[in-house]
Amino acid sequence: MENLGALSILLALCLATYSFIASLTGAWKKNAFLVRSAERAALVVWGLVALASGILVNAMVTGDFRLVYAAQYSNLAMPWYYKFAAWWGGQAGSLLLWNFILASYAAVVLLLNRNKHRQIMPYVTAILMSTQILFLVLICFAANPFEVLTVGRGITAVPDGKGLNPLLQYWTMLIHPPILYMGYVGFVVPFAFALASLITKQPGDNWIHTTRRWALVTWLFQTAGVTLGAGWSYSVLGWGGYWIWDPVENASFLPWLTSTAFLHSVMMQEKKGMMKVWNIVLVSATFFLSIFGTFLTRSGIVSSVHAFAQSPVGPYFLTYLALGIVITTWLILDRLEFLKSEVPLESVVSRESSFLFNNLILLASCFAILWGTLFPVISEAVTGEKISVSAPFFNRVNIPIGLFLMFLTGVGPLIAWRRSTWDSLKRAFMFPALGGLIVAAGLMAAGMRHPYALISFALCMFVTLTISSEFYKGSRSIAAKDGIGFLPAMVELTHRNTRRYGGYLIHMGVVICVVGFSGAAFNLNMTSEIGEGQTMNIGRYQLAMKNITFGENDNYVFRRALIEATVDGKQYGLLEPEGRVFKKQNEPYHEVAIIRRLNEDLYLNFANVSADGKKAVIQAYVFPLVTWIWIGFWVMLAGTIVCLIPSKVRLEYARTQVVGVVERNAVQVEK
Amino acid sequence: MLVFIAVLIGIGGLVYTMFVREQDLPLPEPVNPFQNLDDTKARIYENLRDLQFEYRLGKLSDEDYARTKKELQGELARVLSDVEQLKQQLGVRVANVAPLAKAAKGKCIHCGAKFKENLKFCGQCGKPMEAA
Amino acid sequence: MLSKWKSSLLLLVAALCLAQDSLVSPAVRRVGEKLSCLCGVCKNTVGTCDMMGCHYTAPKRDQIAAMQAKGMSDQSIVDVIVKEVGLQALSEPPQQGFNAMALVMPFIMITFGLYAIYWFIQRNQRQAAMAISNPVHPEVLDRFRAAAEKEMEKLD
Repeated sequence: MENLGALSILLALCLATYSFIASLTGAWKKNAFLVRSAERAALVVWGLVALASGILVNAMVTGDFRLVYAAQYSNLAMPWYYKFAAWWGGQAGSLLLWNFILASYAAVVLLLNRNKHRQIMPYVTAILMSTQILFLVLICFAANPFEVLTVGRGITAVPDGKGLNPLLQYWTMLIHPPILYMGYVGFVVPFAFALASLITKQPGDNWIHTTRRWALVTWLFQTAGVTLGAGWSYSVLGWGGYWIWDPVENASFLPWLTSTAFLHSVMMQEKKGMMKVWNIVLVSATFFLSIFGTFLTRSGIVSSVHAFAQSPVGPYFLTYLALGIVITTWLILDRLEFLKSEVPLESVVSRESSFLFNNLILLASCFAILWGTLFPVISEAVTGEKISVSAPFFNRVNIPIGLFLMFLTGVGPLIAWRRSTWDSLKRAFMFPALGGLIVAAGLMAAGMRHPYALISFALCMFVTLTISSEFYKGSRSIAAKDGIGFLPAMVELTHRNTRRYGGYLIHMGVVICVVGFSGAAFNLNMTSEIGEGQTMNIGRYQLAMKNITFGENDNYVFRRALIEATVDGKQYGLLEPEGRVFKKQNEPYHEVAIIRRLNEDLYLNFANVSADGKKAVIQAYVFPLVTWIWIGFWVMLAGTIVCLIPSKVRLEYARTQVVGVVERNAVQVEK
Repeated sequence: MLVFIAVLIGIGGLVYTMFVREQDLPLPEPVNPFQNLDDTKARIYENLRDLQFEYRLGKLSDEDYARTKKELQGELARVLSDVEQLKQQLGVRVANVAPLAKAAKGKCIHCGAKFKENLKFCGQCGKPMEAA
Repeated sequence: MLSKWKSSLLLLVAALCLAQDSLVSPAVRRVGEKLSCLCGVCKNTVGTCDMMGCHYTAPKRDQIAAMQAKGMSDQSIVDVIVKEVGLQALSEPPQQGFNAMALVMPFIMITFGLYAIYWFIQRNQRQAAMAISNPVHPEVLDRFRAAAEKEMEKLD
């Protein structure tokens, strides 16, 4: 079977190469047969990659331990769904998943547009396939998932595989990597359309209309992927961190920042025909950062928790990136004239210029994170001495940037498109700004002194008020005009312009997340050794150890504590943190116990056993407001879905159509 | 067996890729030289709508509203003159056609007069009711 | 009565000892925040790393506590550790030489971006001024104005 798998990826590589060349030649020679043939080749590539994936998954699930990959990441004891998820447990398999997702996107794009956009489709095909070629080359020559264990010239097998790292055996493993990859890979589609229309000099913003939903859905996948990763590390790693500025986390965050900038700045092009160059730059940056992130994760140039075992994939990525960036830059420079703005920016105080600042801030944050991630490598190359760039650096730079971005989120909706006068701005500002100040003053009075937290909560209030006032004013106007209740008017308002109000909802989600992040300023932690009958205190909680049990099963040895939490003498809940050591991998694993509440989480980790073996070392944490991060994500999800619903009033305007030819010198204009 | 499947897959893929028949080609898309100008026009209308809405919500002063409106009208006029120019350049006659979905049966898109059935020209204003 | 007092005092002392034993004191944490955990896995600092018995952080914390017991200042403790491990012991790049670029560069880029926005706005205003001095044919505009107004009424 593995021969068939290896053959199909090799064949897929040949066909992808053919498709790349044929579509370009077809476009050049204006040969529709060749173009269609190239598209079909891309569909066959999908079939072959799907077949290869099926074969690999089959080997993982049935336990074909002749395969190096199966022996490494699957074993007999894991439940079937983790055997399935082991598909993306290691380097080679996850590259195959990349290929599969990319080929699926390409197939969907080609099928949806098989009779549309004929002028640009050959280039779209070529760009999609060029990426496909890169990833197929990687799995064919650098990290082949179908490699078998050999002794001399014979194939051999191990009786049982090693299986996934226990940390990965958590439900999020089933969806986090595929969703994140879908977000990473997905931006290839808007990129391909953007570049294809640049190559063919398409007038208008057709590529934006065509790929708007792609971009939004892909952005949602990126957001979901990053949040799932944060939630995963919060509940599995045993110390409650959801973000530690690890290079791989940063790599996943960079394209998110540029795509967020893109989603904002693209509005300027749609509304006013401005910023055309910039939008192409942003969509290209997002795509190349996605590829770069994959490169960072897999080449081992920076050390990271998430990094895969080293393999020789680096040069391939670098070649692709270098070629891609050079070609894209050349194309943009060559066609600058064609990308000229149609309408100039009229006023400095306008929604447009607020978008300029929004873009600046998002990109500044992106640059700071990229810079910090790569700085150890750069500095070592320059000074010859190793240095570290850890969480404090990233926080120092990004917290002020993030707060300023929050401020802009609040200001943006207040400013009208094209121009606003200071007077009307001042009027709109008054009430939300006052609200923010009251919150800050109230918190100060309550004894809060943390400056960033104070600013952050005040800004959250400010943004909430501006967004609410947008909804309130609009709904009130509709309610008065149509004579309907306030709530139906609000639904009506949202339905009339889903993108705008869905967008506001997403902003609200971000605000809620920021409330959650700000809670981290007040985290508490405490580590104690407690035996049965003893207690420890953290914050307002008293934790009493009821009993400690030790045991083992086939898979792991475990120790479990039963702890009763009380607040002011009243029972708050029972927690059962557990520590495990997996026998096969000899890896420890912490099954933490969390009581999640809206105001704060109580989080216990059974970290260790005391030297005499009778007491438990319990790490107790209180994480204020953490739950709001996850709630914020759901709000962002809801907002994105609202954005994707077509607006109710989609006015179609009259079209100009040629109805006949006028003879020369008898120009009759019919209106 | 395995070899047989492999050969089958290979040949199947090649045949599907290489043999494209005439009827597999996409139909040529209608080309409308006015498409881009129409899009620009639609965009200006959308901007006008937005402007009015924002004005109603009190985000703009009367003065700003008037100025921006005038500007939009200017942009629209520019597009119209471009349409005119293109028309003369191509030497064609054109008609304003209601979008397909909205072309209500028997309703004139120019003056809004209603008739029992679709007519070629409006009985009220005499303009063509649909594209010839 | 006395025995009850005594036993609770004993308990308190015991609890304090335990706390001393396995708790990161705020002072150690303060110094630890300046040092990177170099276990090779996490990106935390010695102050915030929460891995139990981390092979890098745990001994470093003891070392810091020991030096603090000797009355050394924060900076001198950090210096000792940097001398031992190298510059990479620091959680942030030092603010001298090339390494200062780490913190400076993002702000240079922001300044550059601000200038780009300024340039962009300037250029646009010049273009806007040019557009006004070069208006569309007035008669076309007039003919259209009525149509635009009618359109807007319809939209309302």
